[in-house]
Amino acid sequence: MTDDELDRALFALPLEEPPADLHQRIMAATVLRTAPAFRPWELWLLAGAVILIGCLAAWTLTSSPDAGTRLADAVVAVLRALGLFSRATYVWLAIGLSSVWWISSLPFMATPRPTVYNR
Amino acid sequence: MGVALLAEPPAERVAAVAPTDDDLIALALSGRGDAFGTLVERYERAVYHLAFRTLREIEEAKDAAQEAWIKAYRALASFRPGAKFATWIFTICYRVCCDRLAKRKRFTGDEPPDFADPSDGPERTYEAAEEAAGLRAAIQALPEKYRTVITLFHLQGKQYEEIATVLDLPLGTVKTHLFRAKDLLRAALGPTAKRRTT
Repeated sequence: MTDDELDRALFALPLEEPPADLHQRIMAATVLRTAPAFRPWELWLLAGAVILIGCLAAWTLTSSPDAGTRLADAVVAVLRALGLFSRATYVWLAIGLSSVWWISSLPFMATPRPTVYNR
Repeated sequence: MGVALLAEPPAERVAAVAPTDDDLIALALSGRGDAFGTLVERYERAVYHLAFRTLREIEEAKDAAQEAWIKAYRALASFRPGAKFATWIFTICYRVCCDRLAKRKRFTGDEPPDFADPSDGPERTYEAAEEAAGLRAAIQALPEKYRTVITLFHLQGKQYEEIATVLDLPLGTVKTHLFRAKDLLRAALGPTAKRRTT
């Protein structure tokens, strides 16, 4: 076999057929890929901010006298203002939630709208 | 010759206005996903071919081709206008394949053979198969470095500089590898070729 014959045979050789799903996979991983809600540096920034706030809060609570007690009192006051210490609140919540559950379990069927033909 | 022809769109599409690779890249960089899709359509077969020839496993070649395209998509802004996109994407694909070969060698000890395996060699395959299948088998049986050079020769045509760029090898080494690869292929296909002439 001469060099020219080999070259001709090589160039006549068809390329390997890629798997059928390859194009879709490439597109899904590139163009059609949904952007993440946060970029990595944004996640690091958020994590840093949370840690900083946590450290500040811990430092405030430990450095100021009676800070823990005052904070607990404030939280209790807020909860009381929201009515979370009242039995009636929980009764109404239970009634509301059970009504929602009951309505959602009713066997309503979605009926198709009648087709209107324009003449 | 080579991928320049192989990757070209069909004649009816050429008859209409076929955008160049540079145009498609500019469009893709401006946010047109369909332009990148057209680029993928143009070269995905050639890229997969290179990955398959280098790695010799369908699933891994598929993953490598996908990885190469993802890297290309992320680095599209760094593509130098005027350069050949085919060479660029082949370079990325070849590096991905090299990484995978290195990993394969590290974890499984599976190394690409340095010499054609005589027990499953191209001669016997060629006897039983058609010409193209025999040539394919002969290429597959080549050592990795020769296989890659011959594959790029197939894809890029006689553009040795492009092959050297993709493989990051001196031009002389590419020519030597190609010469040796063709020698091995001729040796593998020789007996059958002779038989066909008789």
